Amino acid sequence: MNEKKVVEIQNLVKNFGVRGFQTRVLKGIDLTIYRNDFIAIMGPSGSGKSTLLNILSTIDKATQGAVFIDGKDISKISNKELSKIRRDKIGFVFQDYNLLDTMTLQDNIVLPLSLNGVSSKICLEKSQRLADMFGLSAHLTKYPYQLSGGQKQRGATCRALITEPEIIFADEPTGALDSKSSHDLLECLKLVNDQGQATILMVTHDAFSASYAKDVYILSDGTIKCRLSKGTDRKEFYDRIIEMQASMGSDFS
Amino acid sequence: MSMMKLAVHNFKTSFKSYLSLIISLAFTILIFYNFQNILFSGVLTSLGESNTRNIRIIIQVITLVLICFILFFVWYSTNVFLTKRKKEIGIYVFMGLTNQKIGKLYMIETTLIGLVALGLGIGFGVLTTQLFQMIMMAISDISVELVFGFSLQAILLAAVVYLVIYFIFTLKGYVNIVRSSVLEMVSANKQNEYVKTKAWILILKSILGVIITGIGYYLAIKEGGIEVMSNVLSAVVFVIIGVYLLFGGLIPLICQKLADQKRFLYKRERNLWINNIIFRIKKNYHTYAMVSVLMLCSVTALATGFAMKNRYEGIVHFRNTYTFQILSSQTGLREEYKRVIEKESGIAYSSKIALLQLDSNAVDSPYQNQYYGILSYSQVQQLAKESGLDFPFEQLEEDEYISVSQLHLMSFITDSSLVTETINGKVYQEVEETSIPYLGYLQEKLNLYMVSDSQYQELMPLGTVVYCYNYKLSDMDHFEAAQDILKSYDNYDGLVSLDPNSNEIEWIKVLYSLCVFMFMVFVLASGSILFMKLYNDAYDEKERYQILHKIGISKKTLKKAIINELRFAYLTPLLVMSISSYFSVHSLAKLMQTKLLNVNIMSVLVIYVFIYICYRLSVSIYQKNVGIK
Repeated sequence: MNEKKVVEIQNLVKNFGVRGFQTRVLKGIDLTIYRNDFIAIMGPSGSGKSTLLNILSTIDKATQGAVFIDGKDISKISNKELSKIRRDKIGFVFQDYNLLDTMTLQDNIVLPLSLNGVSSKICLEKSQRLADMFGLSAHLTKYPYQLSGGQKQRGATCRALITEPEIIFADEPTGALDSKSSHDLLECLKLVNDQGQATILMVTHDAFSASYAKDVYILSDGTIKCRLSKGTDRKEFYDRIIEMQASMGSDFS
Repeated sequence: MSMMKLAVHNFKTSFKSYLSLIISLAFTILIFYNFQNILFSGVLTSLGESNTRNIRIIIQVITLVLICFILFFVWYSTNVFLTKRKKEIGIYVFMGLTNQKIGKLYMIETTLIGLVALGLGIGFGVLTTQLFQMIMMAISDISVELVFGFSLQAILLAAVVYLVIYFIFTLKGYVNIVRSSVLEMVSANKQNEYVKTKAWILILKSILGVIITGIGYYLAIKEGGIEVMSNVLSAVVFVIIGVYLLFGGLIPLICQKLADQKRFLYKRERNLWINNIIFRIKKNYHTYAMVSVLMLCSVTALATGFAMKNRYEGIVHFRNTYTFQILSSQTGLREEYKRVIEKESGIAYSSKIALLQLDSNAVDSPYQNQYYGILSYSQVQQLAKESGLDFPFEQLEEDEYISVSQLHLMSFITDSSLVTETINGKVYQEVEETSIPYLGYLQEKLNLYMVSDSQYQELMPLGTVVYCYNYKLSDMDHFEAAQDILKSYDNYDGLVSLDPNSNEIEWIKVLYSLCVFMFMVFVLASGSILFMKLYNDAYDEKERYQILHKIGISKKTLKKAIINELRFAYLTPLLVMSISSYFSVHSLAKLMQTKLLNVNIMSVLVIYVFIYICYRLSVSIYQKNVGIK
């Protein structure tokens, strides 16, 4: 395994609410993500998954602790540097795709790259290559409303990948998809990860999705309860995740 | 909570978002009221009866234009408002309200807006009447004593006109809501199923647009005879249709073609803003076209004002050439009259000319009962020398004449080579038309032709010769005394005395200031329409910009994209207006026989400055509304 640390989380604490009525949502999380990891974070509702992801993707700020992305502590750097990190180091995939309905799929995929001032030639080449990989070549000139949910989500993933970020944060990427589309998308994610093109952190409540990851962390009540690692077989891994869920007894949906 | 309470509550809480609507409505009322107030307040009576009558007619015409404008403006703003509110209103559907009830809620809310706007409009209208009249008189260069006062009649008229129009459109909104389906209301703002318009439709529209606008331009500047007026009218229609087609066809076409060029598109923010424009222009092209036409109107109004001012100065120039013009059938009285006048006042210059008055039967003309006068070339030359006027003409051929004419307020004949005159069966060709005031005031009243000396001799037997003696006083203070002594002398056939202090034609100056006002009203209107449109667009865009922000695109980049998009939205109507204004002002300049290019450039520049301010405001408010400030 490549030993480069992409994300390092140290004793992360997050409180919500006003002084005196605070709720501690994250209670000291430590997590290190190395290059080419594929990590799934699972947990029941209210376990702090979304809060964690928001902090990691620099939308929210931590109360205590530090988050290093590519060696920089994101709680200590200026807004300008922060937006640079968001632009260059992080790719986002959301549950509701968030493609712009005003432009074609190709324009959507290329958007972050072209906004960064990369030459149009490279933009075109990269978008073509990614579209081939995600089986979207035939749909590049279509508008989002002409695409199925699965196609949209694969498009959104292409958009996240095109800037070659250090890490992809995926927030319930399969949440709105049917099982066939989910399967297609996850295969794609696994493929780019296997080819060494992406480090992925995925938040999900779905054991099936999680079973595509290399490691699964289970978050409960603001702390990481356990870590499961995939062996060789995905099916076996899936069973283990289900078992773990059952043993924890919480509602995961 | 009763319907009324709910409506009032809604109105209070979202007052801020209604503000732009209320202000623009109040503004139109203010303008309308102020124009009416001029009519009713009696400020004009000091200008004399004939002036008042003329100004009254002009203001009535302007009132009509303003009513059309209010009609249009109310229609537009309530429409924008309705789409914006529909989604919000749609939520009530889930609360189990019937369409009728929701419609009623909408009615009450819009009525509240209307009444507040009316109150503000009339209130500020009353406060600004004096300012308005003061500015108007200052621009007109007329000194009138102003008293603060407002007329109830004007208030009532403005209120009634506005309320009727407003009520019609509120009712229209009500019907619209009652008839719309639940789905439509809930998703009124979410109809994003965007399809590119088919290329061939756009191409057809662009070709038609270019051709029709071209025809319009051509008609506007085409030289011609009496048909020029109808040409100009059709040019107006052609240009308006053409501009609509250009915005509906050519501009989307260009943008779509650009968006297809991925190499071009994928440079910096282009991807974002060009796609946004394509998406927006489908809904917005009416607005852009309309704003172009409005701005065009404003430039033309200002040019008309300046042309009127030129004309006023021209007329004054005719009247100021001589103080007295004495007509007599006898020759050789120049020194005699001179002596009489000199008893009271010094004489700056004097001149004399023989005028051959023709019977209208001798002239083959469609106009009966007109006076025709023939002048001889050498005599006019002599007069010009004595009176210190230019004389830039070559010797005339036997069949040529120069029309020594008045300054027409409007002339429909723009090509003088087409003009001929048949006098006594002989056809004369017009070589030139001049408005140098050789015959001063008389020149305005007569049709005068200058022919060669030999032709003059030939025509002599056809009419009677009248001698015209012209005198200009060196000191106008002695005018009255000189006039009195001349009147008592009474050895002449006619006396024209021109009081330098007469205000017979002051109304033209008022017309000029009214035109300046129309210019300002139209410019303000076009700016605020664009502003309002983009203000509302920003709300629709909010979600998209939030997505962009979420996927990690910096605010700086988004700001740049917004700037580019808005620049396009403001610049295209400006560009279309600038080009079209050249043609409209050019055609106007020809009708009014004056040069207006400077006015054209100046007014376009004023509009640019104003629109630039709107643009800067828009950018900042747009950024705020999409939530990236």
